Amino acid sequence: MPLTQQSKLCNRLLRVLAPEDFAQLQPYLEPVSLQLREVVIAPDAPVEELFFIETGMVSISTAHDERRIEVGLVGREGLVGAVPVALDGVTTPHVYFAQLSGEALSIGREAFCAAIRENPVLRRLLLRYVHVQIVQITQTAYAHASMSLEGRLARWLLMCHDRTDGDELVLTHEFLSMMLGVQRAGVTLAIQNLEGAGRIRAKRRRIEILDRDRLLALTNGSYGTPEAEYARLIEGA
Amino acid sequence: MSLYFFNLRHGPGADGLAVDTEGDELAGPAEARARALAAAHDLIARTRLHSVRDWFTCAFEVTDAAGRPVMTVPFSDTVTEDDEGSGLA
Repeated sequence: MPLTQQSKLCNRLLRVLAPEDFAQLQPYLEPVSLQLREVVIAPDAPVEELFFIETGMVSISTAHDERRIEVGLVGREGLVGAVPVALDGVTTPHVYFAQLSGEALSIGREAFCAAIRENPVLRRLLLRYVHVQIVQITQTAYAHASMSLEGRLARWLLMCHDRTDGDELVLTHEFLSMMLGVQRAGVTLAIQNLEGAGRIRAKRRRIEILDRDRLLALTNGSYGTPEAEYARLIEGA
Repeated sequence: MSLYFFNLRHGPGADGLAVDTEGDELAGPAEARARALAAAHDLIARTRLHSVRDWFTCAFEVTDAAGRPVMTVPFSDTVTEDDEGSGLA
């Protein structure tokens, strides 16, 4: 199989690497497709593979109930499995599943761990990314504890918008209800409110983002913090 | 099984109705009422929305697959049913 070319990748972690650091991972990267709702890391099972997301999104959700509530979101900025592997958790109590189908580059845990042991640049990038992921999950806790559903929905839409191309998100209210951990009727009402204010346009199974700034204004700082940490620590902004 | 739509009445007029476009497959009207009450209960207990000051003024206007009204379930019905026989004022 031909080696993956760095310049053609969408994954922002892989793109930011110097060619010689990327070369250390390159032989172990395998392109995989992620199907909608596919579980990529199951709860309480050893994490054997990590996934650099190219397109699509993976949700990190609570798993102790049939009702999954999303606590984290990983797209082309990220590496699925980074936290349990970097912090030596071996397994994770959470479920990681594809929330939007797409492509990823998988890497075996052992090859990945060997590379980060040997290469301090890769190790540092990984730890910085883990920090950003923890900040994101912390901000989710803040949003759940302190914000109205309109604010939480606005945050979630902005996070999805960052991780997809174009302004249109394809999703059902039922799905949003699962992600946000609220009744579907609550989601429908929150969407109606955002739409009435001209922030989004809702069509059947689709939401179009019209005004990011005005969505941002609803998020009370719960959106933007992990994104700024990512820019500061990973992309050197 | 029949398809039921749980439209949320939260104010007057067309703007005051959040229209359910997805619906739920349920066995019959009794199940639809139970689903509406469970959803109302959960919204009252856990969900804060800017646009709803008082959940108890809301109601589910349940319709069938043809859009015909089937029943209206006021959120206040959750209290009556919960507190029956509980001795609480």
